[in-house]
Amino acid sequence: MTMPAWFKPYLDRLSSMSLAIALLVVLALASVVGTVLLQNQMQADYLRQFGPLWYNVFRSLGLFDMYHAGWFRGLLGFLMVSLVVCLWRHTPRMIREMRKKRKAIIADKSLQRFHHLHHWTLKNTSSVLTLAAIKSNLHGWEKSIAESDGKTYVRSDKGRWNKWGYILVHSAILVILIGGWIGAHYGFRGTMNIVEGSTDNTISFVKGTGTGHLKMPFDIRCDSFFIDFYPTGMPKAFRSTLSIIDHGKVVIDHQSIIVNSPLYYKGVRIYQASFGDGGSDLGIKLFRLDTGKVETIKTRVYDTWHDPKTGVSLEFTNLRLYNIENMANPGEPKKFKDLGPAVEFILRGPGLKSVKVKSFMRPFIMNGQDRGTLMMVSMTGEDQDYEPFSPGLDFSNTTDWKLYRNFVEVLQKQKGDHSRKANFLAFKSALEHVFGKKLPDHFQQMGARIIQGMNNLSRVPWPFIPVLDDYDKVYYTGLELARDPGMNVVWIGSAMLVIGLCIMFYMPHRKLWLVLKQKGSDVEVTMGGVTNRNKLGFEQEFHGILMKMEEAFASSPSTGGKV
Amino acid sequence: MTAIAASRLNFETLNRGLPAFVRFCTYLGAIAGVTAYSMYGPAGYGDEGLLYFLTPSSFAWAGIGALAGLASGFATGMARPSITEAKLSLNLVPWLDGALMMILIAAFWSMLEPNASLISYADQSNLISGRVIMTMNIVFLSSALLYITYLFAPVSIVGNLATATAWIGVYAGGSALLLRWYESYLLSAEIGHAPVSNLYEVFILLFCITTVIYLSLERRYQAKAMGAFVMALVSAGVFFGIWLSARGHADIKPLVPALQSYWMKIHVPMNFIGYGSFAVACGAGMAYLVRDHLEQKGNYSRLLAVFPSLDQLDQLAYKAVAIGFPAFTMATILGAAWASEAWGGYWSWDPKETWALVVLLTYGAYLHVRVSHGWKGRPLAWWTVAGFLVTVFCFVGVNMYLSGLHSYGSL
Repeated sequence: MTMPAWFKPYLDRLSSMSLAIALLVVLALASVVGTVLLQNQMQADYLRQFGPLWYNVFRSLGLFDMYHAGWFRGLLGFLMVSLVVCLWRHTPRMIREMRKKRKAIIADKSLQRFHHLHHWTLKNTSSVLTLAAIKSNLHGWEKSIAESDGKTYVRSDKGRWNKWGYILVHSAILVILIGGWIGAHYGFRGTMNIVEGSTDNTISFVKGTGTGHLKMPFDIRCDSFFIDFYPTGMPKAFRSTLSIIDHGKVVIDHQSIIVNSPLYYKGVRIYQASFGDGGSDLGIKLFRLDTGKVETIKTRVYDTWHDPKTGVSLEFTNLRLYNIENMANPGEPKKFKDLGPAVEFILRGPGLKSVKVKSFMRPFIMNGQDRGTLMMVSMTGEDQDYEPFSPGLDFSNTTDWKLYRNFVEVLQKQKGDHSRKANFLAFKSALEHVFGKKLPDHFQQMGARIIQGMNNLSRVPWPFIPVLDDYDKVYYTGLELARDPGMNVVWIGSAMLVIGLCIMFYMPHRKLWLVLKQKGSDVEVTMGGVTNRNKLGFEQEFHGILMKMEEAFASSPSTGGKV
Repeated sequence: MTAIAASRLNFETLNRGLPAFVRFCTYLGAIAGVTAYSMYGPAGYGDEGLLYFLTPSSFAWAGIGALAGLASGFATGMARPSITEAKLSLNLVPWLDGALMMILIAAFWSMLEPNASLISYADQSNLISGRVIMTMNIVFLSSALLYITYLFAPVSIVGNLATATAWIGVYAGGSALLLRWYESYLLSAEIGHAPVSNLYEVFILLFCITTVIYLSLERRYQAKAMGAFVMALVSAGVFFGIWLSARGHADIKPLVPALQSYWMKIHVPMNFIGYGSFAVACGAGMAYLVRDHLEQKGNYSRLLAVFPSLDQLDQLAYKAVAIGFPAFTMATILGAAWASEAWGGYWSWDPKETWALVVLLTYGAYLHVRVSHGWKGRPLAWWTVAGFLVTVFCFVGVNMYLSGLHSYGSL
């Protein structure tokens, strides 16, 4: 094949090692950028983080989805071109050299330049006998023997296919990149969230700065979702039971998948990736602080409920069935306790600071004592800023509330008198009003809660206290669907890469020459060795062979010895 | 003198010829027995994990396998003596011996465990592995001190002590990890898992692997002066490990669903062979730079006499990279295989993945400049040091500063 003369310098440049090294370094630096700058976040977040100027600069450079940006792809393409040119230029020569008949005869000058060299003069023997001794001590070496000028040349090779390592490694990277390219162009990967009991067929994925959608050729039904926890509250396992419906026919029926064991259908892998609340039904009790009325509202997770009377809204964000917390003080052995179901919502209203609240269904019991309903409030809206807030009363039943309201009313009637005695009498009358003559068990604990309620509820700016009353939990399962026709190509490339590296590093080409020359009744032997890699290892190998030869020459049938 | 020579000779013969070959076959037989047990055993391998192999019937299968291996090894070795010099058996036998010894030591520790009623997840301070790890820390630190002492007082007893303590540290660390594996099952069968699941555990693994790689290079190439640098790196790691445990990261914790996979047992240790070798390469590089510096200043001939030659150090660094590079490539590929089974694709440009790629590119460039540009010496010594910094960031920095799918070992 001929090529125009002007083309050759460019080709040289492309296949030059400096370019390859520069490419590797540039790729490494570029890759780092994408790990420091979080990829594929919300555009609004980027804008807030960098300000409009840098946002636009970064955005136009494609830094927010860097690994799919044109310039990064171009860099990889450039690497491929460089690899192709390298392989194209070197492979034929390397194969030719490897297949060429080994030349046994070596010039004296070349031999003398070898790093590893040894010389013997054997007395009273013949080169034929010596040759036999040498041959029987070179197991595992490929030998070729030639004679010239009264000298016998024994050339031995090991790992002379070493250059295949080079060829394999470099074509492996090419193959892997091709596999990746096939996957990027003919494959897809996206997420599908399916609520328990419902069916879906569309995945969504990040596309540039927006979201793309793709319809699958089949429907997936999530039959059920199951989650199990360790005693520490960490998720132990989550499992979806799925059915796949293809053209109205159930082709896979109630198959369970878990993390690390995907389902495979029509070239698409279906992974268990995440889970969340699928819009559970909620019953919320509102304890109105102004009127004392208790009302129950029906709503759902992800819905926002507006209170027509006060303009306050509750946006329900999550329902968590298990809330396992370490109750031990710092430094003590851990003590895990499940605080039971809780609903999370964001409370907004006119004149109110928006806060995130986690409201538990059950009262907090410590050392057998009912300490009243537990709530967590985050003033910033972030989960890590939750602070416990104890309203005092146990809102899981209405007796605490009745007693509290009565107590408040009686107190209001006896205006002015706030002596301890008056307060005690007021409490007593409230107790009698609610319970009659028969006092309930633990009424002392109840009293303590009411007193705490008097203190804490008066400071609450909200018009009501929302408490989870009942629920019907539904999960959604977060599936990841992917099809990658290039994946097997990548595996083939990977295998080539590993095999190639092993050949390259662990089977270096080692050459060993032994040159014999008969001088009267003596034989002069010169041994020289050279390798292209792992010089330290070869030094030892050479030394080992030297020892073996020494032994063989000493015990050869002649009266030989060495000088 | 003769007695020492004789005992060394005996010790050497144990590692060659028939004794070595028979031992090799016995180990193979035992491994085959355990494998067969896990595949065809009465109950079948299920969720029991390690406990499945700690049963009398498992030991019986392993024993039968070992006996069969022993007999066939002996017969083959007698019939064809040349086979006993096979490189595979000669090279692997010392490693298998070491593995067996580690298991035996761990078994011994396990007998010191407190009563089952005293073992609880909430308070793990009474577990023996914690104490063994503490011992390992002290042993590694003293080994580093001995190696450094050896630089200035190159008497053979100091050198031998340094090597011996390094080996003791390896056995302490390795057996502590094995013991921790067992302890995780003592806490509860559902918590039990291989001890490569969090930063603290893999740190111990890293110390052991780094030291083993260094020691095997030391034994082959008599490069004791390098130990001062490698063991100093290990010591730095030991302090970090102590800090981790003070921060409460030393507890055995159950596995999140994403890690519940056999891939974890393969992918993680493979990675650490890579990290460990890069650490050794960095040690060789630092030794090179120090020697180079001393040579230029002159007047340090006594100190220099201990150091391997510049050329040797250069070669040793290359040798370590030659171990680490294929191992790290392999580990990354194994990670990709796992990701394709767990995350929906073999490559997600997750920060850890990307940094692993950066590490590979760094050492790939190192190999290129070395082999084809013929670079040698100082610039490459610096390269191994810089490469190790990149490696450290990939290992710890990503967990500390960047979030992503690999956030199991976060701080």
